[in-house]
Amino acid sequence: MRKIWSLFRKELQLYLFSPTSYVAFAFFFLVLGYLFSTAFLGAQRVEESMVYNPMSLLFLFVTPMLTMRLLSEEFRQGTDELLFTSPINVFQLVAGKYLASVTVVVFLLAVSLIYPFILFSYGSVDWGKLSAAYLGVFLLASAMMAVGVFASSLSASQMVAGITSFAILLAFWLIESVSDALYGGSRELFQKFSPIFHLNDFEQGIVDVSHVLYYLVFVLLFLGLSVQSLEKRRWR
Amino acid sequence: MLEVRNLSKRYPGRGGIENIRFSVDRGEIVGFLGPNGAGKTTTMRMITGYLSPTEGEVRVDGQLMTEHSSKTKTQIGYLPESPPLYPEMTVEDYLRFVADLREVPVREQKHRIADVLERTGITGRERQLIRRLSKGYKQRLGLAQAILHRPDLLILDEPTTGLDPKQITEIRELIRELGEKHTVLLSTHILPEVEMICKRVLIIDRGRLVEDDRPERLARRLEQGSTLSLEVKGKPEAVQEKLLSISGVKRVDVTDSPSKERVKLLVTVQNETDLRERIFYTLAEEKMPILEMQRRDLSLEDVFLKLTTSEGGSQADA
Repeated sequence: MRKIWSLFRKELQLYLFSPTSYVAFAFFFLVLGYLFSTAFLGAQRVEESMVYNPMSLLFLFVTPMLTMRLLSEEFRQGTDELLFTSPINVFQLVAGKYLASVTVVVFLLAVSLIYPFILFSYGSVDWGKLSAAYLGVFLLASAMMAVGVFASSLSASQMVAGITSFAILLAFWLIESVSDALYGGSRELFQKFSPIFHLNDFEQGIVDVSHVLYYLVFVLLFLGLSVQSLEKRRWR
Repeated sequence: MLEVRNLSKRYPGRGGIENIRFSVDRGEIVGFLGPNGAGKTTTMRMITGYLSPTEGEVRVDGQLMTEHSSKTKTQIGYLPESPPLYPEMTVEDYLRFVADLREVPVREQKHRIADVLERTGITGRERQLIRRLSKGYKQRLGLAQAILHRPDLLILDEPTTGLDPKQITEIRELIRELGEKHTVLLSTHILPEVEMICKRVLIIDRGRLVEDDRPERLARRLEQGSTLSLEVKGKPEAVQEKLLSISGVKRVDVTDSPSKERVKLLVTVQNETDLRERIFYTLAEEKMPILEMQRRDLSLEDVFLKLTTSEGGSQADA
């Protein structure tokens, strides 16, 4: 536990140090602020969805930026030799890093709470619905971060890792539009795999355990793949 | 302390490590020598558990690396070829991080960190960013990291590369000091280094272990007749002819003749015979005074070349 904590702390420290994370933060808040402002000023109404609607799309771009460094940089710097010759197991390593990336998600979502408060000053806000939506976005973003960790475990180049994670995320994104083109059973099947589809209920203020489970399985799957990919490096 | 048995690492299509076996006793400083690409780093990576062997096993203190990896790993201190440092961290933060990874109890960390900083001569730079350290200090920090958890076995992969002569001497001194308490396996391609620090040397070539002995003994064993270098006053051809007439002299090469009446030669003498006296009297009779005579032992460098170049034999005859 102490080792996971220590890895987690180191990773957060490096987030604060890396210019890439500031670019990602700036991008996130700039675009979110712009989309919120235009939606709010255009509609002249108080609607919670103005806050969380753009977020899932923003995370599509921000996730690769925030995760590509995590393992790739260790390989490039040769610090993976320190990690893998220390008495830690690969699971602890992945866990420490993943938790750090989730903390960054929490930070982004926490700062974005200023928008609901702006809305609140102009009218009444349904806080229950908003909390459900935030929980949904948090789960979605956490799932995406797991994809990023996995992509980063594949290459010593941050660029390759970033592009890979963007490609995987985009593929998951497109499942939604594929399902739109289908009917009946196949449509439902495709929807089950779409991370966007599972967000819908949260945005209506409904917290359904099956959706929560979907995201959890998603996270475990990709963290498991990361562990596998790291173990495999030893057998090169 | 360390036992390597039939260790192999095979890569498809290119050479790897083939059947390496050796053992290192507690308190030994062993040099691991070989040309670039011979497999030193790969072998060390398998010993430290960074890579898994295709075949064979590594035991540290009797424990199998693959089975008791986390316990075994706490007994090993490893300095890879490039020190594994995080440029954005400060020296102190970095060592604290390493201490956590290597299971150094929290209460002891402060004291241990101060101790290794002192021993590696980094004291006073705790708050500096690693990125701003000079190459020599990075190397020292790499060593500090390797000894922080007081391992029994130290594996150092080319610890002196890229340092200036003064730093090299300091690092060697430090390694020798460490050798008093730890078992050290040290890889290098700098031969005098091995002669200076190590009591035993392993030579590896193209993935195979070709020698395992004490440095001086190795040199003596491989010596096929010793060499004398001479400077003689006299006509080069006459001197050469005279020397060749002495029984036991295998070959005479003129290396230089500074003037018509002076010559420098290399005399190869058959196995283990000392011809110095006979050469002296023979040349004295001919009124060819010896200005200089020196016996040359095979340096480790020659041994190394002999063992690692397949054309070693024909080269000597050329």
